[in-house]
Amino acid sequence: MTAPALHLQGISKRFGVTRALDEVDLRVERGSIHGLVGENGAGKSTLIKVLAGIHRADSGTLAIDGQVLRGFGPRQIEALGVHFIHQERLLPGSFTVGEALFFCHELRYGPFLRRRAQDREAARLLREYFALEFPPGALVSELDSAQRQILQITRALLAKPKILVFDEPSVSLVKREVDQLLAIIRGLRDQGLTIVYISHYLQEIESLCDRVTVLRNGRTVAVVDPRSTSTAQVARLMVNRDVGEMYPKTVVTPGEVVLQLKGLGAGLAYRDINLSLRRGEVVGLTGLVGSGAKELLKSLFGLVQPERGSVHLHGQVTRFKSPRDAVRKGIALVPEERRIHGVAPLLSVLENLTLAGLSRFTRACLLNAADEARESDRLIAELGIKTAGHDTAVRHLSGGNQQKVALGKWLGRDCTVYLLDEPSVGIDIGAKVEIYRLISRLARQGAAVLVLSSDLPELIGISDRILVMHRGALAAEFDAGQVDSDRLLACATGAHEGTAPGLCPVRETQHALV
Amino acid sequence: MPWSEILAQPLARRLGLLVLRRGSSGAFLLILAVLAVTAPNFLSPGNIANVFAQSAILGILAFGLTCVVIGGGSNVVAGGLDLSLAANLGLCAAVYSSLNNAGFDTVQAIGLTLLCGLAVGALNGFTVVVLRLPPLLATLASMNLIAGLELVLTQNSVLPTDSALLDTLAMGEWLQVPALAWMLLAVALLLGLLIQHSPYGLRLYAVGEYPEAARAAGLRVGLYVFSSYLIAGLCAGVAAFCSAAYFSGSTTGSGDMLLSVVAIAFLGVVFSRRLVANIPGTLLATLLLGFLINGFQLLNIASFWVNGVQGVLILLVVAMSSALRKEEGGL
Repeated sequence: MTAPALHLQGISKRFGVTRALDEVDLRVERGSIHGLVGENGAGKSTLIKVLAGIHRADSGTLAIDGQVLRGFGPRQIEALGVHFIHQERLLPGSFTVGEALFFCHELRYGPFLRRRAQDREAARLLREYFALEFPPGALVSELDSAQRQILQITRALLAKPKILVFDEPSVSLVKREVDQLLAIIRGLRDQGLTIVYISHYLQEIESLCDRVTVLRNGRTVAVVDPRSTSTAQVARLMVNRDVGEMYPKTVVTPGEVVLQLKGLGAGLAYRDINLSLRRGEVVGLTGLVGSGAKELLKSLFGLVQPERGSVHLHGQVTRFKSPRDAVRKGIALVPEERRIHGVAPLLSVLENLTLAGLSRFTRACLLNAADEARESDRLIAELGIKTAGHDTAVRHLSGGNQQKVALGKWLGRDCTVYLLDEPSVGIDIGAKVEIYRLISRLARQGAAVLVLSSDLPELIGISDRILVMHRGALAAEFDAGQVDSDRLLACATGAHEGTAPGLCPVRETQHALV
Repeated sequence: MPWSEILAQPLARRLGLLVLRRGSSGAFLLILAVLAVTAPNFLSPGNIANVFAQSAILGILAFGLTCVVIGGGSNVVAGGLDLSLAANLGLCAAVYSSLNNAGFDTVQAIGLTLLCGLAVGALNGFTVVVLRLPPLLATLASMNLIAGLELVLTQNSVLPTDSALLDTLAMGEWLQVPALAWMLLAVALLLGLLIQHSPYGLRLYAVGEYPEAARAAGLRVGLYVFSSYLIAGLCAGVAAFCSAAYFSGSTTGSGDMLLSVVAIAFLGVVFSRRLVANIPGTLLATLLLGFLINGFQLLNIASFWVNGVQGVLILLVVAMSSALRKEEGGL
């Protein structure tokens, strides 16, 4: 039996009191595509950073082609032929394709660059590997995300790698680009490369990988063959939690309609959206990037103006001219990038919590500090915000607690409609559950809640109804009690349209890698 | 982001780029044409050579600033900036005058003066790279420090001096082009080759624009940023000789050139396809400003108007390029 291309054994890594990795094993056979899946916080990125030589493991061994490495850094790892394709596209925008491709390994003529030769060579390589032509003289900033990704892959290929590690490569790609990427990765495997593919999109893993390692809470819980293990089983391995206990949901009888959209449309983003939101109801909204779901929510935030149709609030036609306008009309907005839009990181917890309703604490144009303190202490206790006190800057709070502050600031305002954009992204499980509890409480108090999320189990757990958007239209509506992630995803990806993956112009090229 | 925006954006952006790029070259030509028609003797070879020579000091300083902007990123607030360049020139000129008057031989005087410029560059590089101060504040502080040192050295007076080197720079001519003009072109050529045509230059661009990418490619980002401040310091030293030749010694008030230097370096951005700071663009911007000042003189327009025009140019260029960058960020 030959030695595996990559073998990590018993890797442990501690950050302070948290055990990020606990005796993790990862064995990748030569010439295979190995998937690595796990929830956020399961330890995927820590493991990759250990492999990349960025973090040093507390214990455990790493072997490449059977050769055990000790005390390695990023450079040694690269020299051994392990290359990484990061999810952020690490290429300077003002560079031409040739410059970006040969960056740091420039083609020279004496001390000078050979720009034209680089561009020519870049075009040749792209044609050879991927049968692609980029517009001549194009700058990186003019390429789309998929093209940049391909450029990164080509750049990695120049170094004649043995192992390529893809770290969440498809996050910002649309479906067609993902298919193209997957086909390219298969092509690379067929040329003999070993691939490690990290993603939390299980469909990609299923269609791409030969073996899958599942991580949970910093441990390897299973190594499975995706051809014989269903996506649902893999998902269960990842989560291993009773969905019911994680999503505290109380049954509320929906009241009257609060917000209604009639035939709403904006440009090519979305069209003919009919939707009504009742009191006491949590409605889930989902769709892939480019499906228009995000844009629809942005319209309700007052960030994008719809061009057709109408919005009715409490039965009256209305328009949200700006987020400020929407807030004044009683809508609570919790945007996705809470650090940018949701909270003011440098202000204290108290200031953030009272910011949305300052008028309530104002007497004769001055703020009443005692009132503010009392109200914020009440909210801190009620929401279980973990903070040293109401004077702590929000910046020092964890992601989950920041999110609670972002939600909490609306609570005192008696809002009728809550619009939440990816409320649980990037926060740990415990905090997630508290956020879910909060959402369910809002509904119980008679608010209507619309949640946009790409976390399907979450949507199923917290909402009453789920709306799925596909290519700008509402594709389907599901009763949350009678649907599973697979059906939602099939609907969101338009799988019922019969799109086959792998339609990509990759040739079965026999050219040796440069 | 809605599709309509995605579709519309590149077009709007392309249009913006087109206006900015073509517009700036067009404006340059228009200004030349207007001055050529209205100002007497504007296009005579003697006058053009004169403009080149008079632009040498500002131009060489602006080349230094261009390198710093490339290496530190073009964000005006957080990116690379060296406000101490003009003060550095003043100090170097004072150092050279003092050394020359104290009887140091030519090579020593020149070497020590350039070393002084480099030392100031190293100080800036140290505060920016090692102490991680924002370049705006770091170089503002060093500007005051250096201006103070200059005052200590000169007692706030003019230090007249005379040497064969200064005579050559002030009076020398080759092919009927004054020596100062040759200095400008020589520095432009050298830095142009280094920045636009060598791997070092390309990497410096990457360091400034996307430090994470440069780090991921295995570059030592701090070293590159530091080197850009060294180049700027060296430029200040070289410009000091031009200044000393022009004024026959060190003068007070060299700090007044700062606004012009910043204006030129940022104006140079619009003369490139990628809208980044670059040496040829800075040369063009230097000449544009030189012709403008020269034309105003020929037309007998008060010279404070030049300051006003510079201010407007800075505002326009910074506003337009940051507007375009915002669009890019949204993509």
